[in-house]
Amino acid sequence: MKQRHSQAPAPRGAARDRRSDAWLRETFNPPTLPHHLVRSIMRQLDLDLSAQAPLDLLDRLALAASPAGITQVSLRRGRVPAAPAAAGGRIGALLALARRELEEYLAGQRTFFTVPVDLSRVPAFERSALEVAARIPYGEVRSYRWIAEQLGQPEAARAVGNAMAGNPIPIIVPCHRVVRSDGTLGGYSFGLVRKETFLTLEQGTSAYVGCASTRILCRRGCAHERRIHPGGRIHFLALADALSSGYRPCQTCRPA
Amino acid sequence: MQESDEEVFGLVQRGDRRAFNTLVHRFGRRAYAVALRLLGRREDAEDAVQLAFLRAYESRVSYDSRWRFSTWFYRILVNACVDELRRRRPTEPVAAAEIPGAENPERSAMNRERQRCLQAALTEVPTEARIVLTLYYGDAKSYREIGEIRGVSVNTVKTHLRRGRLALRRALRARGVEEP
Repeated sequence: MKQRHSQAPAPRGAARDRRSDAWLRETFNPPTLPHHLVRSIMRQLDLDLSAQAPLDLLDRLALAASPAGITQVSLRRGRVPAAPAAAGGRIGALLALARRELEEYLAGQRTFFTVPVDLSRVPAFERSALEVAARIPYGEVRSYRWIAEQLGQPEAARAVGNAMAGNPIPIIVPCHRVVRSDGTLGGYSFGLVRKETFLTLEQGTSAYVGCASTRILCRRGCAHERRIHPGGRIHFLALADALSSGYRPCQTCRPA
Repeated sequence: MQESDEEVFGLVQRGDRRAFNTLVHRFGRRAYAVALRLLGRREDAEDAVQLAFLRAYESRVSYDSRWRFSTWFYRILVNACVDELRRRRPTEPVAAAEIPGAENPERSAMNRERQRCLQAALTEVPTEARIVLTLYYGDAKSYREIGEIRGVSVNTVKTHLRRGRLALRRALRARGVEEP
């Protein structure tokens, strides 16, 4: 061992990098492709991938608003007739905006809502719990206890659960991102299956999309994000990844 | 003379689905290798490769023949892998038993062990640096190509690469593997 050491002194600088480059290339050496994969890809070309289940909910959502914001989102058994023609003016505009944003959210094209909400008819404790829930980022989950702690009442996890159950504006106020501390789902006013559907949708949708030519980073759903050419879209796992890659946050949707 | 990737994809754009088969064969193995190094689990890598090819097929109309097909496709592929990483983030890291590279009988035991350590060490490298390392060492892409794939400058690629190499070296050393 000693002898070998004297024959080949430890390489330094560029020489070392070259040697370690060769070693890394060899170690990264690609594995073989599973045979069934090619067949499976070709078979799936016939399937329509854009048909997404969450979007089917849209026709069943009934919305209500006050001049201050959306007051209610509820799930009806059957199709809800298109927005009542009588609702004009500010309320009509709010309802139309909410419906458009909900549609984009359910299609996986939006990760945040800009439509204002009106929680003034909700009692104080419930309202503050819902306001905390509204700040949970897209694709993440928190526990009922976490919300209680944020409110300075760590023992009130059960009361938080009741507040979430009474959320008049599900989806827009994302109470589906609140789960039990043990990782199980807890409850959901639209049904547990939907809670899971929303969480699966969110976890598979990258929240940050950059434009390769302008190097501007948007949250998914921003008007600028939608104008990025399909070939120039860059997905980022985390905000820090995008910033360290030289992307600037968009001034409109403010991801940072 | 073999048709270029761009010419083949031109046929796909004009409705020749079988031409797409050619591209799946040309890029499948390399795409799988990249996805496997980024994701660690074989099933996840297969899913990501499938998704990337399907997305490429679906967005064939938006492809401009002035672009290199491979750059455009790798961009879609890496996006699909990032989506998969995000989907998985709340769950556990890759279990040792699932680490790939072990099924190849051509490889010596020592090489297999090295592969296993590499895969485990890669999970400790930050995402963007791992993407750059994988494209650079696993697919012999140039700085410029990597920059084009991820929409970053050549300098950023070099920064990620340097950072990734350091993190990887540290993680490998912690596993008793010393780069020469």
